[in-house]
Amino acid sequence: MQIDIPFIFMALIEIFKALPLTIIITLVPLIIGFLIGIGITIIRIRKVKGLYSLANFYVSFLRGTPALMHIMLIYLGFPLLIDKLAVTFRWTFQSTSIPILLFVLMALSLTAGAYMSEIIRAGILAVDQGQLEAAESIGMTNFQAMRRIVFPQAIAISLPNLCNIFIGFLHTSSIAFIVSQKELTGATNIVASNNLKFLEAYIAAALIYWGLTIISEKVTALLEKRVTVYNRGGVI
Amino acid sequence: MIQLRNIQKSFGNQPVLKGIDLTVKKGEVVSILGPSGSGKTTLLRCINFLERPTEGEVMIDDITVSSQKGSKKEILTLRKKTAMVFQQYNLFRHKTVIENVMEGLIVVQKNSKETARKLAMEVLEKVGLTEKANAYPVQLSGGQQQRVGIARALALNPEVILLDEPTSALDPELVGEVLEVIKRIAEEGITMIIVTHEVSFAKDVSDYIVFMDQGEIVEEGTPTVIFNNPKEERTKRFFKRINREAGILESNLSSVI
Repeated sequence: MQIDIPFIFMALIEIFKALPLTIIITLVPLIIGFLIGIGITIIRIRKVKGLYSLANFYVSFLRGTPALMHIMLIYLGFPLLIDKLAVTFRWTFQSTSIPILLFVLMALSLTAGAYMSEIIRAGILAVDQGQLEAAESIGMTNFQAMRRIVFPQAIAISLPNLCNIFIGFLHTSSIAFIVSQKELTGATNIVASNNLKFLEAYIAAALIYWGLTIISEKVTALLEKRVTVYNRGGVI
Repeated sequence: MIQLRNIQKSFGNQPVLKGIDLTVKKGEVVSILGPSGSGKTTLLRCINFLERPTEGEVMIDDITVSSQKGSKKEILTLRKKTAMVFQQYNLFRHKTVIENVMEGLIVVQKNSKETARKLAMEVLEKVGLTEKANAYPVQLSGGQQQRVGIARALALNPEVILLDEPTSALDPELVGEVLEVIKRIAEEGITMIIVTHEVSFAKDVSDYIVFMDQGEIVEEGTPTVIFNNPKEERTKRFFKRINREAGILESNLSSVI
């Protein structure tokens, strides 16, 4: 068997068209997951009654199972739940009218939330308690102190880990192809089977993922320098 | 005026404060002295409810906050009348010197940015740090950081500034600059309660001295009375030990020289 090098370039261009969907499947879960992560972190740090063990269970289960399972569980389980509810409440609504992408985004958001909560929690705990006390001692509410003093530093501390998660989720987004999403990997599969050139197509896909990762790393490094500028006395 | 009534605090079963009564008049500088573990810092932290007392009440001007019933809102009002200087400075690390001072002025006192900047600059002038206004805390020496801590408290123009061992974390050669700043603002008539180990400084700057041991006030009075004529055995012993340590230090120094 010979490798068809020109085909790699053709595939590259074809697969690249699926980039927007990959970006959506990467970014949307990370943004929603970030908000979930903050919520979970607050519940766990404050030990909110009733929700505390639920939050612990959520983090433990979601981090303890592969993202692929989350997609499959939501994709298979959620429609069942919706249809059941529809029957009970006499809705005319049917689960088949929900786009599959929505299930993928839901599942990966939950996954991201679990990972993010651990990262944010570590960041918040790394900011020394004294600054929170100082903020409260001048009459700031706990919320103001968290938002203005603790949180910005916690995010700065967490940034390298958050960027790792971004890269991780960029790669994880590829499993959406299993529920027939036409993101980068899904597109690769189509290009490959239409032309019966599998290796070439996957080499092209790998190059695209690699390139995206390198760009992310560069952006991360810049961002990191910017948000931790206070540690170097204002020198970027 | 500040009044503490029957302040008690226990950590678990361990009583740390056993009913403290103290009155501080407006413009007075009160120093709290005593051996480590006597509850000085805890008492100070009970005044602004960073530590909620188990029993008793804190009165500042027209508001009274009681240990058990004190609501979040009351505590917030109390804290707006006080400010604190910490042993470890506790500056906001992600903010410049002037932003540290402006933070409370903007967020708590709702000043405009320009007003806050102007007020902050005036206070930085007082602590001699105008040229460091745009530096970050990591770029400052311990003494400078603590002076920013003092400026942050002073800027809010509080009824009382609580100083928790303001020089204990400093290198010996930096203690002087901080004490000098505290002395200067004491002379301006700002009410201060200082927990300190610097006995001679306390003698110099205070209108009133409180000596604590094992969670109780053992003796209190003007510096002249407390330092020259302590009545209680425990107070005498404490000063004797301090003097002896100072003496040893001095003889060590002279042998080095």
